[in-house]
Amino acid sequence: MAQASLEERARRIRRTILRLAATPSGCHLGGSLSMVELLVVLLGRVMKFRPDEPRWEERDSLILSKGHAAAGLYAALAEFEFIDTEELVQRYNADGSPYTGHVSAAVPGVEFPTGSLGHGVGLGVGLALGHRLRQRTNRVFVVCGDGEMGEGSNWEALQVAAQHRLSRLTVLVDRNGGQNDGPTEAILSQAQLVERLRAFGWSTVEVDGHDLEALGSALEAPSEAPRAIVANTRKGAGVPMLRGKGPHYAVFNAEQLRRALSSLGEVTP
Amino acid sequence: MTSPTSSGTDLLSAPAEWLREQPDLSNRQVFRHTLTRLADAEERLVLLEADLAGGGDPFAARHPGRFINLGICEAAMLDIACGLASTGHIVFAHTFAPFGALRAGEQVRLGMAYAQANVKLVCDYGGLSGAFFGPTHHAIEDLALLRAMPGMMVVSPSDGLETIQATRALLEHDGPVYLRLGRNRVTRLDEARPAFALGRAMCLREGSDVGLIAHGEVGVSIALDVAARLEAQGVSSRVVNVHTLKPFDEEAILDTAERTRMLVTVEEHSIVGGLGGAVCESVATHGVGRRVLRAGIQDRYDSTAGSHEALLQRHGLEAAALVDSILGALPRPRLAALAPASRRG
Repeated sequence: MAQASLEERARRIRRTILRLAATPSGCHLGGSLSMVELLVVLLGRVMKFRPDEPRWEERDSLILSKGHAAAGLYAALAEFEFIDTEELVQRYNADGSPYTGHVSAAVPGVEFPTGSLGHGVGLGVGLALGHRLRQRTNRVFVVCGDGEMGEGSNWEALQVAAQHRLSRLTVLVDRNGGQNDGPTEAILSQAQLVERLRAFGWSTVEVDGHDLEALGSALEAPSEAPRAIVANTRKGAGVPMLRGKGPHYAVFNAEQLRRALSSLGEVTP
Repeated sequence: MTSPTSSGTDLLSAPAEWLREQPDLSNRQVFRHTLTRLADAEERLVLLEADLAGGGDPFAARHPGRFINLGICEAAMLDIACGLASTGHIVFAHTFAPFGALRAGEQVRLGMAYAQANVKLVCDYGGLSGAFFGPTHHAIEDLALLRAMPGMMVVSPSDGLETIQATRALLEHDGPVYLRLGRNRVTRLDEARPAFALGRAMCLREGSDVGLIAHGEVGVSIALDVAARLEAQGVSSRVVNVHTLKPFDEEAILDTAERTRMLVTVEEHSIVGGLGGAVCESVATHGVGRRVLRAGIQDRYDSTAGSHEALLQRHGLEAAALVDSILGALPRPRLAALAPASRRG
């Protein structure tokens, strides 16, 4: 059954992310784990792409605007065969490797280098405009963080997308409620995010960001306007050991990795 | 505005003649007409504006499908330009220099320079040309900032003809470029000059006492004026037009240092980090013992109003004042007994 398969893929992606947290420099763990279902539904159900031909002209594009969650994207790209999982784990953040701690476009499947926040929506608007000018039907998906919505450039770009009715552009906000210094709501509230996106002219829905079926339906529903999906998620989601305390950044030792993997029902490699 | 071919003279095949027939166009208008004409043959060309296109833009009139006025959102415009470029378009993004180069500087760095996007950021209001609009509309730091970005090409044409040539050359160059224009002038250099090539400085005048190194409409026209005035006083000047600040034609600078006794940089930009900075870096790096007098914006903002010329004068950017400074600083001629300065061991 397709959904079971996506669940299995999500579990494998989480396993890789945990292994990346156990590399010498660690990774942005909480926000990588929170968006796993978003990436799995996009890559496993919605998007058109060819892993052996990452620049295929008819591909749909995925832009990780919250580029600090590179470990999550790389792990997903490995699951969908753009890159090799073992090479990723061996070389993540290592000298001379393309797998930098913020997303690098040298990695197959990555469209743009991101990590400085507030660029993904604008880049996505440009892609969507470019496809329209060429009369192509490629879809463009941008994953933002909820803390990242504090960047004004996002709101500039959201306005442009609405003005030009870029219906093939979708923004997914990984609303995991946390940012670098703590809870998003305590630092710069994104309250009424759904209403604000709607007021900006976007066709907006709020879903459980770990519900594969809800995400898939939201992504496949017809829309005349650009589409925003506010996905309520949890930092560190899917790893029982991290429940309720998913860290923003983590460097695991061997014992922590063993415990995290075993809480996923896995054994240490 | 007139069309790029309205008079029957074609802008691209006969640029000098076309310019003679359009004596009232500013350099930024020359750019617009050039881009409009280039877009006839290049379907990938797209022009983005951020509410500063003005009325009657010739590109908008002739290629409405490839003209997108995004509104007042420069940061998003640069990200959008980079997204557009990645779908195979050649994107020109136009605005004023303080907004394109400075406000959206991080978008330029990340999307254009780091990603090596095929985007041309074209900005007018370079230097003090925004004049009485005040320092919010001046750009005296843009070249320093963009020159420091790896992989960025930085071009500052000295007149209408060079703007046409540069715009055409940018279309052929696959990569990120900053093209800096002024606002007011309609400069036409009468000097015979070598063929235009991106990245290659051009010698406009030979001389042996003073090496005047300049870019842009203001810089180059002042340098030529200074050279003529110095000649009247028996001082000979070499004038070099560095229209491309990056990649920097270091060879031309070192040649000029060898052939003259003193270098003078002339530019409508802060004396920090622009052409003056670049020349000092080159000369010092290669151990050339030449004094460098940097004429430019004197490291301060001008908060009071004034005409473009008045503002330039306040910074000593006019020929008479500069001649005095040069004559006061010019070292005595080398004695024949001394060995000529050698450049690089």
